[in-house]
Amino acid sequence: MKLLIGQILPYITVTLFTLGVLYRLGRWVGPRIVHNITLSPWPKTNTEVAIRVGSEAFLFRNLFRFDKALWVGAIMMHLALLNIIGGHVVGFGFLGEQFALIPGLGITPELSTEMSDMLGTVFGILLFVTLLYLLFRRLTIPHVKLVSKPSDNMWLIYLIVLVGVGNIMRLFHDFGVGYEQVRDYIVALALFQPVTHMELLSNGFFLTHYLLVQILLIVFPYSKLMHLFGMFAERWIVNRVYKDPAPGIPNIDVAAARKAGIGIPSDDAAEEGV
Amino acid sequence: MPCLNVNGVEIELDEDGFMIDPDLWNEDVARAFAASEGINELNEDHWKVINYLREYFKQYHIAPMVRKLCKETGCSLKYIYDLFPSGPAKGACKLAGLPKPTGCV
Amino acid sequence: MPEYKGMVQPLRATPDEMRKIFAEPVPDEQKPEKALEYLDEIRKKFRSFVVAMESCVKCGQCAENCHTYLGTRDPNNIPANRAELIRKIYRRYFTLEGRWFGKLVGAEDISLDVIESWYSYFYQCSQCRRCAHVCPFGIDTCEVTFIGRQLLHWLGITPKLHAAVGGAMEKVGNHTGLPKPGIIDTLEFMSEEIMDEFGVEVEFPVDKPDSDIIYIPSSADFLLNPYTLMGAGMFFTYIGANWCIPSTVTEAGNFGLLFDQYYTQRGNVNRLLNAAHELNAKKIVWGECGHGWRAAKMYVPSMADRPVRWPLTHVHDEAAELIRKGELKLNPENNPYPTTLHDPCNYVRACGLNDNMRTIIKAVTVDFREMTPKGEDNFCCGGGSGILFDDPEMYQRRIQLSQKKADQVRATGIGKDGHGILCAPCSICKAQLYPMVEEHDLGVEVKGLVDLLGKALVWK
Repeated sequence: MKLLIGQILPYITVTLFTLGVLYRLGRWVGPRIVHNITLSPWPKTNTEVAIRVGSEAFLFRNLFRFDKALWVGAIMMHLALLNIIGGHVVGFGFLGEQFALIPGLGITPELSTEMSDMLGTVFGILLFVTLLYLLFRRLTIPHVKLVSKPSDNMWLIYLIVLVGVGNIMRLFHDFGVGYEQVRDYIVALALFQPVTHMELLSNGFFLTHYLLVQILLIVFPYSKLMHLFGMFAERWIVNRVYKDPAPGIPNIDVAAARKAGIGIPSDDAAEEGV
Repeated sequence: MPCLNVNGVEIELDEDGFMIDPDLWNEDVARAFAASEGINELNEDHWKVINYLREYFKQYHIAPMVRKLCKETGCSLKYIYDLFPSGPAKGACKLAGLPKPTGCV
Repeated sequence: MPEYKGMVQPLRATPDEMRKIFAEPVPDEQKPEKALEYLDEIRKKFRSFVVAMESCVKCGQCAENCHTYLGTRDPNNIPANRAELIRKIYRRYFTLEGRWFGKLVGAEDISLDVIESWYSYFYQCSQCRRCAHVCPFGIDTCEVTFIGRQLLHWLGITPKLHAAVGGAMEKVGNHTGLPKPGIIDTLEFMSEEIMDEFGVEVEFPVDKPDSDIIYIPSSADFLLNPYTLMGAGMFFTYIGANWCIPSTVTEAGNFGLLFDQYYTQRGNVNRLLNAAHELNAKKIVWGECGHGWRAAKMYVPSMADRPVRWPLTHVHDEAAELIRKGELKLNPENNPYPTTLHDPCNYVRACGLNDNMRTIIKAVTVDFREMTPKGEDNFCCGGGSGILFDDPEMYQRRIQLSQKKADQVRATGIGKDGHGILCAPCSICKAQLYPMVEEHDLGVEVKGLVDLLGKALVWK
């Protein structure tokens, strides 16, 4: 088990994830943007495109405009997710002392670790709760229920379990893992050194959490999670700069035409004296 | 394909009940259509509208603008609806043996 | 009765009618196989389609934002589910997850029933793009139904209405089947009407060589919308333009966009460019037609078979520009009744006409009231994409599809004393709304925007 999940599978996971995503993106690049299907009112400059796409991708503008409840749930969930992924990287990378590295704040390494722990806990719980909300929404709101496929609910349940296991490790110290253990493990993996002897891999919660993450990454390219890239691919098609051709009818002089009385019957104009 | 039998002649209609071949039209066909449209009797004004439509169609191979139909026959649009409850296009044109108008109409 | 296993369907064109528009119907038993073949071909061409197939997360936001779903409450009319009708096939045959996990990820085998469901639901979609507008990703279900309708067309399934329009276009150059003598007769009648009502001499030149601009009216204007034709004629005369209407293209619409973007749409584009070329025009100005203006403005560049030498603008663009420059003398009192504007979907979500329409309507009416929502947020009239079917079942559907619009109009209060003007500057909107304002008893009259402009012009 340790050998499989801890030593062999990670390499397979990274390879399958990378190739899978590239394969999927390749399928999107092949077909062209045949016609201009920019949504209007269209952006007039690239800055406007960036603002529009950025506000959709990072602030979920359309959800905010048309469904406030979903907006709260979705943006909280993604915000928590982003922080957790980032937290895994810097937390393990800097052993929780990342905040101490920011100059001028006077944060001690001990305080930084405490902050890191606290942020991880808060976002972990937030992610768990927001995922529950999204699942609740899928099961209760009629029109969302109508569009949901079994896989939509299963992904949410999967993530809830994955995050749940992570939260148990964070909340109950006995089940948790140390920053250092994980860093050493990653370093060893990266250097293609044996890792099976590591204490980390004896932790059943860690193994479960780790296995779930790896399965997720392997399946990622074939799932709705590709919407991470789909977001930008779709926006690239529908939010593009468009410049209207200049209006103006050739060879007209409205003032002269009106002065000449075009359209006004000649006798009529004289009669009425205008 | 639905058909209309008038004086022993089978007249082919499309799914909307319009004549496929307008050349087969005669006054009895109009009367048969009228019955199917729930118009009891074709009076002088009915015929005025029908005849105008047929004349116009013969010349231009199209129905006239509704406004022109009203003006030339002296019937208001409302009156045309009174005469032909399905309206100028689906009612009057059908009785006059014109094909069903297409497009955004 | 146009129904298939409980699904409403528009009347379909006969095999002969299909052949007239150069499509050969595929026998039923071969349809599923052929549908897959065509789908495979098309998915390799259109990125808009592939990304729409692979990016939806089923958040459900499109549901309450689609007038078709709001009017019918049919689950398959939720845009995400409507796209799913084709996505489940796409998944099953063209993705790993669909081949391996099948039902779990909503993949399904192709069958005649599936194809028939496309015909029912892709022709209830107005292709108004409101779902694309509200989708957090911008997924454009319109692209999906465009391609669905294209597949159906290649299989030989096209509504009678659309096929008849295609046939008429082939024959005479417009959708209503108006031949040139009929065009000229109607235009002469329009000149007389303008003289009677406004006391102004307006000529409608046809096929005049070396015209600076050619004006492309909607052919429905020749039968149903006299004031739109009159308004355009008066506007061009007023500004002293050297203009004409080309008899070979008296059609602003291009139903190719709506059922066959290959042969039909491209053919119409070439027809247009030929007309501009033959008359040696400098510019092409478009009349009031929503889908047609999109087909022209956004598709001519990618459909043309030659360099496009003619700038294309909409008559609203030109009028708004002259109003902004203060070159038109207008009397809004000529349009004294409370007026609201129905934004044609293609104008506001695909062609950027939002501001220009408002520049005009505010300048030519005394009591303009916006409806809610408005502009790019507006709801479709319910007839969009030419689903103006009038057999009894589909007509009932159209009443349902216009429910949201009726609610919006009522909320403005413009029709409560029976004098309101509902400005809907698009031929499909007009054709849909003429009967629908009666069905919903709205107390308003439907008009175009050029209609109101023409009335407001001060000549002396």
